[in-house]
Amino acid sequence: MNPPERDLAYSHEVRTNAEDVALIRRMCDADETALVALYDRWMRSLYSLVFHLLKDADDAEDVVEETFWQAWRKASSYEPSRGAVSTWLLTIGRRRALDRLRAKGRRREESMTDVRELADVASPMSDPSQAVEGAERKTQVLSALAGLPHEQREVLELGYFRGLSQTEISELTGQPLGTVKTRMRLALQKLREPLAMYRERGD
Amino acid sequence: MNKLSHEEAYSELAGVALDSVAVEVSVAVREHAASCPECGPELAAMEDAVAQLAQAVPEVAINPGHGAGIRSRLLARARGEREARSVPAPGPPDLARGVASLTGLGHKLTPGTQRAVDAEVRKVVPLPVRDRSTAWPAYVLAAAASIALVATAVQLSRVSADRDALRSQIATRSSTPAPSDTTPAIAPSEKQAIIEAMAGRDVKMVPLATVTKESMGHMFWNRQSNDWTMVLYTMHPPKPGMTYQVWLVTDSAKISAGTFQPDATGHAFMQAKYALDRNALKAVAITEEPAGGMPSPTGPIVVSGSAAP
Repeated sequence: MNPPERDLAYSHEVRTNAEDVALIRRMCDADETALVALYDRWMRSLYSLVFHLLKDADDAEDVVEETFWQAWRKASSYEPSRGAVSTWLLTIGRRRALDRLRAKGRRREESMTDVRELADVASPMSDPSQAVEGAERKTQVLSALAGLPHEQREVLELGYFRGLSQTEISELTGQPLGTVKTRMRLALQKLREPLAMYRERGD
Repeated sequence: MNKLSHEEAYSELAGVALDSVAVEVSVAVREHAASCPECGPELAAMEDAVAQLAQAVPEVAINPGHGAGIRSRLLARARGEREARSVPAPGPPDLARGVASLTGLGHKLTPGTQRAVDAEVRKVVPLPVRDRSTAWPAYVLAAAASIALVATAVQLSRVSADRDALRSQIATRSSTPAPSDTTPAIAPSEKQAIIEAMAGRDVKMVPLATVTKESMGHMFWNRQSNDWTMVLYTMHPPKPGMTYQVWLVTDSAKISAGTFQPDATGHAFMQAKYALDRNALKAVAITEEPAGGMPSPTGPIVVSGSAAP
């Protein structure tokens, strides 16, 4: 008999990685209610991320569904030692979104205006406390991003939030490829320390 | 791609962590990092940092209805897969009976047709028990449990729009097809079974058309033998990752009649054996659904036909 389906829809409960790992284990045992529970816990974060990349609700919804379906099919391949379940899920989703973005060649249509309107994801002008509604982790990430030099934050935003390749970033910004690589590396190195406390392991 | 030097790999670590380099570069860097005491931990640390960036994305609300729809589809797909996995090979008894509707006629299926049959049997979506609030009547569930569907790769070329023409075409298909005809010849017994399914004395024909009234084919329901035979032509291929699914629509249920893919010419031929009250059928509908099919229709109707007299 199947376990009863719990109504976890869109809950704001505290999400711990241990709970996510437990859901993954249940998914490995073909418990579909665990998949639904995982979906309820992470759907909003995943949708926000892929929508930010794709700028299209239909595409973003497709990617969300594909991502959770892949998680169901590949649950046994999740390795707790490599990171939190949420990281695993968001990585799958982002890669799928990038695949879709690249297949559509949408990036080529972007103009420098779009680039300048990068939504100021990490702009020092943004109000982290309002944006994250008290979520400490999100505040920390925004603060860390805001603390980067503008040119480093720009390549990071173009690479991560727009899914551009280093070559495309170089073309778009007019900076040499080597400069883009260096800025990207420095940006990630600077982010490592303030964000290390949020590094979650499943083990 | 050639092996990278340490310096080359190190310079690409951030790009790899951000998926901002070509796949071959990423593969080469990861290969190097796997055995490099400096690059391995560095890449892992960068990937950790990258993973945190998702937290910075402003939250965007998904359309609640769409979010619930994805949730339902995931649940149905996972449940269907779990149930399919628990079914002993080669298939549940009802599916075996479906195959028997072709194999029990005194002939052996050609290997190609048999492979197609086997593939379709594996794809059949187990009919689920619906939510209690919308539970189907017991007789519907009982009927659904016995449904046996087989979609074959038998290709019928140049099928005309009416039953007589179709019947004539099947009956006259030469055992020595024209050199240009690449359609596999239909075995005589298989041909006879198709004709009987479509041309018996108590066959109801449901014309199928698009929403713009473009004729697409027919569903033939032999109410004596409970054979269902569907022929479609000029169907566009479904979107990637999607499939067409046939529904028998009654007053109280939409009964999945299986999934199919048209062939390269747009033709599709599908047979099923399913007992339905002779006055129960209201319509036949075809929707586009995620690969593997759905327990109830979720996509738009692309082809349909009324069963009204």
